[in-house]
Amino acid sequence: MTTASQPVLLEAVGVPDGHTIASYRSRGGYAPLEQVLAGKQPADVIEMVKSSGLRGRGGAGFPTGLKWTFLPKDHPGPIYLCINADESEPGTFNNRILMEDDPHQVLEGIILSSYATRASTAYLYLRYEYPQSWHRLQAAIDEAYAAGYLGKNIRGSGFSLDVYLHRGAAAYICGEETGLIESLEGKRAWPRIKPPFPAIEGLFRKPTVVNNIETMACVAQIARRGVDWFKSIGVPADPNNPRDPGSYGPKLYCLSGHVEKPGCYEAPLGITARQLIDGQGGGVWKGRRAKAVIPGGISMGLMTESELDTPLDFAGPGKVGCLGLGTAAVVVIDDQTSIVDFLHNSCRFFAHESCGQCTPCREGTSWSLRMLERIKAGKGRLRDLDLLAEIGGTMGMMPGSTICGLADGAAWPIKNAIKKFRGEFEDYIKRTNPSGWMVTDPVPALQIVGAH
Amino acid sequence: MIAHKKILTDEMVAKIEALAPRYPNRRALTLPALHIVNAELRHVPLDAVVEIAALLGLAPAEVQDTLTFYQFFHQEKPHGKVRAFVCRSVSCALRGGDHLLEHLCRKHGVEPYGTTSDGELTIEPAECLGACDFAPCILANDDLLKNMTPEAAEAELKKPRARAT
Amino acid sequence: MPTVIVDGQEIEIGADERLNCIEAARRAGKEIPHYCWHPGLSVVASCRMCLIETGSRDAATGKITMVPKLVPGCQTPVKDGTVIVTESQLVKDSRARVEEALLIDHPIDCPICDKAGECLLQDYHFQHGQAERRADLHPFTSRRRDVGPTVTLFVDRCIMCTRCVRFTREVSGTAELMVTSRGAKEEIDVFPGHPLDNKLSGNVVDLCPVGALGDKDFLYQQRVWFMKREANVCGGCSAGCSIHTEHNQDTIYRLKPRENPHVNGWWICDEGRYGWHHVHDPARIVAAGRRALTGGAFTTVEWHDVVGRLRDDLKSAGRLAVAVSPMLTVEEAWMLCAVARSIDPEAFLAVGHVPRQGADETFPGGFTIRGEKCPNRLGVEAVVALFDPAVRSWDDLVTHVRGGKANAVWITAAYPGPWLDEAAAAAFAGLDCLVVQDLFESPLTALATWQLPAAGFAERAGTWVNVAHRAQSFGQAVRPPAGVWPEGRLFWNMLGRRGLYDPDAVRRQVAESSAALVALAGEIPPHGVDLRIAQLA
Repeated sequence: MTTASQPVLLEAVGVPDGHTIASYRSRGGYAPLEQVLAGKQPADVIEMVKSSGLRGRGGAGFPTGLKWTFLPKDHPGPIYLCINADESEPGTFNNRILMEDDPHQVLEGIILSSYATRASTAYLYLRYEYPQSWHRLQAAIDEAYAAGYLGKNIRGSGFSLDVYLHRGAAAYICGEETGLIESLEGKRAWPRIKPPFPAIEGLFRKPTVVNNIETMACVAQIARRGVDWFKSIGVPADPNNPRDPGSYGPKLYCLSGHVEKPGCYEAPLGITARQLIDGQGGGVWKGRRAKAVIPGGISMGLMTESELDTPLDFAGPGKVGCLGLGTAAVVVIDDQTSIVDFLHNSCRFFAHESCGQCTPCREGTSWSLRMLERIKAGKGRLRDLDLLAEIGGTMGMMPGSTICGLADGAAWPIKNAIKKFRGEFEDYIKRTNPSGWMVTDPVPALQIVGAH
Repeated sequence: MIAHKKILTDEMVAKIEALAPRYPNRRALTLPALHIVNAELRHVPLDAVVEIAALLGLAPAEVQDTLTFYQFFHQEKPHGKVRAFVCRSVSCALRGGDHLLEHLCRKHGVEPYGTTSDGELTIEPAECLGACDFAPCILANDDLLKNMTPEAAEAELKKPRARAT
Repeated sequence: MPTVIVDGQEIEIGADERLNCIEAARRAGKEIPHYCWHPGLSVVASCRMCLIETGSRDAATGKITMVPKLVPGCQTPVKDGTVIVTESQLVKDSRARVEEALLIDHPIDCPICDKAGECLLQDYHFQHGQAERRADLHPFTSRRRDVGPTVTLFVDRCIMCTRCVRFTREVSGTAELMVTSRGAKEEIDVFPGHPLDNKLSGNVVDLCPVGALGDKDFLYQQRVWFMKREANVCGGCSAGCSIHTEHNQDTIYRLKPRENPHVNGWWICDEGRYGWHHVHDPARIVAAGRRALTGGAFTTVEWHDVVGRLRDDLKSAGRLAVAVSPMLTVEEAWMLCAVARSIDPEAFLAVGHVPRQGADETFPGGFTIRGEKCPNRLGVEAVVALFDPAVRSWDDLVTHVRGGKANAVWITAAYPGPWLDEAAAAAFAGLDCLVVQDLFESPLTALATWQLPAAGFAERAGTWVNVAHRAQSFGQAVRPPAGVWPEGRLFWNMLGRRGLYDPDAVRRQVAESSAALVALAGEIPPHGVDLRIAQLA
């Protein structure tokens, strides 16, 4: 496998006025769009993206071209494209950089994707906490309209597209595709039951595709540099496994936490956590060692120090018991940090963000937080670890007990932490609650302050 | 019957209506309308909810349902002229985010989500602000304050700041 | 016919039926527990209590392939070959966990909660829950919140099934109820100043699986396990909604809708729901009274004596006119007409006063409240037609009496409230004999020489025909006060029939003599029978 050495997705970072249309064009941008509109059919673009092996960069890793084919053929319309710019997974910030520094790359991807899916309107659902992205994107959209890349009959192709920004209000669940759709429709963001899937009945009950910001940037680059280029990067599909779609293309890895050089780094899919941390990351900070590393946003769980040679592609983290690659946001926890504090932070996040619709997640996230609060306050019991493991093991879309994957994200850090760091939990509990760690009857809860 | 003074100004209504052609129904204007009112008033009082509902052809309960879901819009009184979101998610917490929040609250004499008595500053915990490369960080109106320490945050939050978009 | 396999048992379903797993399992006698699903509301699959294992059986090979995870039964349609497993350990554990989760914060208010005895949380706890509490203990709160004039909310008992919210959005179309906040802090509430106050409000109490929503009319009045229930029909309007009258010791405590896909679906309106109080109004006429002159005092007449003396008075007065109230049953109407004609073969028979109030009102979910506020105009008209094809109306009767063409008039009424004023009553002044059979005194009883009690709707047994020509039969739920003879018993005796009043016998007799009512000849099923279909056949 050849590896890319020059940033592609991040090519505009550090370039003065790199966010402007002039700069984007000077780097070759929008020429691919013009070529596609002049000579290619929507089906050709779908085929291009399918062949590239591009998998969604939002967390699920579903093959993008395949997702587009789920749209009904010959639908009278309207068909909608929703761009998920709600980036809220703790540890993740690559979408922010793409939107702030290279909004036209994202926009060209959006226009190409809309052309492919025959979407007539693209709504870009942008989280509230990114005001700079808001300004940059709106300016880019205005420039694109002025240049004739948006609006009616784009470049005389007969294809029309409007792109609208829609601002969120600080709720993590709006990053779930049907939660996003419900929010856009003006309701509380309670994810929908599936079926029907959005491709059949989505936004405003019309066929809808929801794609991530980084995925859109990849589409633009695939159009510019070609399918072969994209497939030359990353990890090819396992020839012995017909179900493995491979992990192709460059990926933006977010590195944060206890490292010397936190930042967003572009690398071929498949780099290991250790390579990322010791290479681009400059190593664990303050000369310490890593105790645990989150591989792809907090929902993915934890890898131990001995698991850091796991390739960070779509298949790797699952092999060491993590949920998956997720958003490829790598967070380093050093060996002087209490794993109890980490798990408390995770449980607090998910209890705050659970939409509350379905019983196991609503009550499970709240119950887990209460137990962690009590453990931290020195009133934990060994039995709590069994209860937490049970909550972690039964809550989620994968066992079928919840409507959406937030519960799986809440469960995985609990499962991984208790399984991989059980000794540390037991020591902490015994040390801080010498008289009560063995109690098995229910104990009084603490009053929760500031959980919301 | 005493006619109460309208909360939504003509300008706010015009901004909301300008967005109407973007969506196939009026309900989709709910969140944009809440933001438009909130940007002006720094909160969305109950009376505004009634007016928004009437404008959109919805029941007030439907708008309030959506509004309260986000845990974002203040309703009883305006939040501070500066709304400081202090991130407490994992990457910032690993680099002092919880301590930062606790320090700022203590220094300004407010509980989390509280506003100083002079109406200038609100301090709220936030979940991952997406700036983990500069942890710990604070979003103060439109400005991302990076690599904060309690002292640096103190200094930054004293500065006057343009209102949030 | 498509076959579904439920816990190994094969059941056939109709080729055109669209059932979910809960409905299909019921056909096999298996009840899949559920909170948030309701056939009259949208499917949200949020409570997760109905999680089951499903799979499919290959039609050719018979091989069964199971879906590797639990699925909600409410959102999973069945088709030929669907396999449903409701009792595996996986399913049992899942149910126990949902119960446990719902009970973590639930205030154990059972001793003071109306819902005890009909509470799904209680029932499922005993059937599917676990004995041991594992969650941390903390003081429970149980706040009461006023959400409207007729419904109260015990906030902390709520399990967030959202049935009530969906009802106000989808069925009543009024959208007063909302969910506030997010996650474990969610609560049901109304917007300040916009209470839950629509004509169908009471249905949300029926829908609530637990004791969160309460009916102010019923709150703390009676424990549900003391009540008996009778399948009845509401007498409030011509919709004829099927109901249950719930009562104890001849006292009605509440009415509940009875599911009827042909009439009211799952709902009733508030007017019907709370429209039973008149039955226990102490101002009711409870004795048969006779006087020689208007204005004098009534002398109470023993019921057995009423039979003969009433007939004598009417016969000696001369020309008889009768108002057959649309509150009476088909059986009572027929007997009254027969009695009248046996006293005066040329007795003028008219359909009684038909109260009307406003226009018909249809709600977004399809439920309709009728402006015609009586339950049996069509039934009474069909009966009167047997005796007089002209089928005279109340107005015809008034004209007839004003024209001096009657000496004796017998007006059956039984309306739950005031129904005519002095001006309207004045037409009946100066008659030799005026019999008024009603629930309450009125300007008409002021002119009467005979004042007879009427039956309240729940004291009646017989058949009513609603606006859509559906005939529904019902039994007596409570006995009338103080030994009152309801109209049916009086007319039966005045016809000289022996033994206790038997409405079924009268109904069959009516069916024999009427093409319009021929469908009444057989057993009437619980949902009633459409008279027009029988006629076509």
